[in-house]
Amino acid sequence: MTQQTSLAAGAALPTVTKTITQEKINAYARAGGDSNPLHTDPAFAARTQFGGTIAHGMLVLAYVSEMLTAAFGEDWLASGRLKVRFRAPARPGDTLTSSGKVTSVDGGKTLCEVECRNESGEVLVSGEAAVSR
Amino acid sequence: MTTLAALEKGYEFPPASFDLSEEWVDAYVASVEDEAMAALGGGFVPLMAIAALAIRALLEHSSLPPGTLHAGQELAFAAPVRRGEALTVAARIASRGERAGWVLMGVELRVARDGLAVMTGRATLSFPVAEGAAV
Repeated sequence: MTQQTSLAAGAALPTVTKTITQEKINAYARAGGDSNPLHTDPAFAARTQFGGTIAHGMLVLAYVSEMLTAAFGEDWLASGRLKVRFRAPARPGDTLTSSGKVTSVDGGKTLCEVECRNESGEVLVSGEAAVSR
Repeated sequence: MTTLAALEKGYEFPPASFDLSEEWVDAYVASVEDEAMAALGGGFVPLMAIAALAIRALLEHSSLPPGTLHAGQELAFAAPVRRGEALTVAARIASRGERAGWVLMGVELRVARDGLAVMTGRATLSFPVAEGAAV
């Protein structure tokens, strides 16, 4: 899975696909120490505008970061920059695909567009990443 | 515990310290199913684990209003972090405004190892002006 080769402008990043479950959301809540009932309490979440639980934004972002780790390896860990907006929620049962492409390579700095979509093609997270190599 | 809704711009959260234990990192990696980190080896900690720790520092001192949403995130990393290392987290409320019945709050984060920043960032959070009223 780990790519870690030089990527030219226009190159696609290796996609990462995960299926969200309530069990995974609960496990993330325990590890991350974020037990916001919007994520973990179905009864509470049912009364919100979302009508049910949603995944933590940082859980979805972990999938995007996994893609960037696969693409850039230790360079991502040493110099990664990420700026994203959370545009729509990820729900239990959703299959999420993180993808991206290199938009420019200049002076050792690689810029990428990144996003995460659900199985319907809805964009849940979008933004930019940068890594120095 | 103070709710985040009661905090104003400029508020500085009490500093927090974390040890990146093998047990915690393993639990985090399992929860996010990070196969790339496993392939990379080297005892490194996933970047979003560090960010999650920074956000956890906020939650140790203030509760999130019910229905709080994570609207955006900016992160910049300066050095790899390995299992077993100790980190400190500092955070402050950099902005706070209201729009259409929702509070938009920007929280600046700084995670350091031996005093040197390994991560800086900004989380944008949103929650109802009247806590619990809109969700």
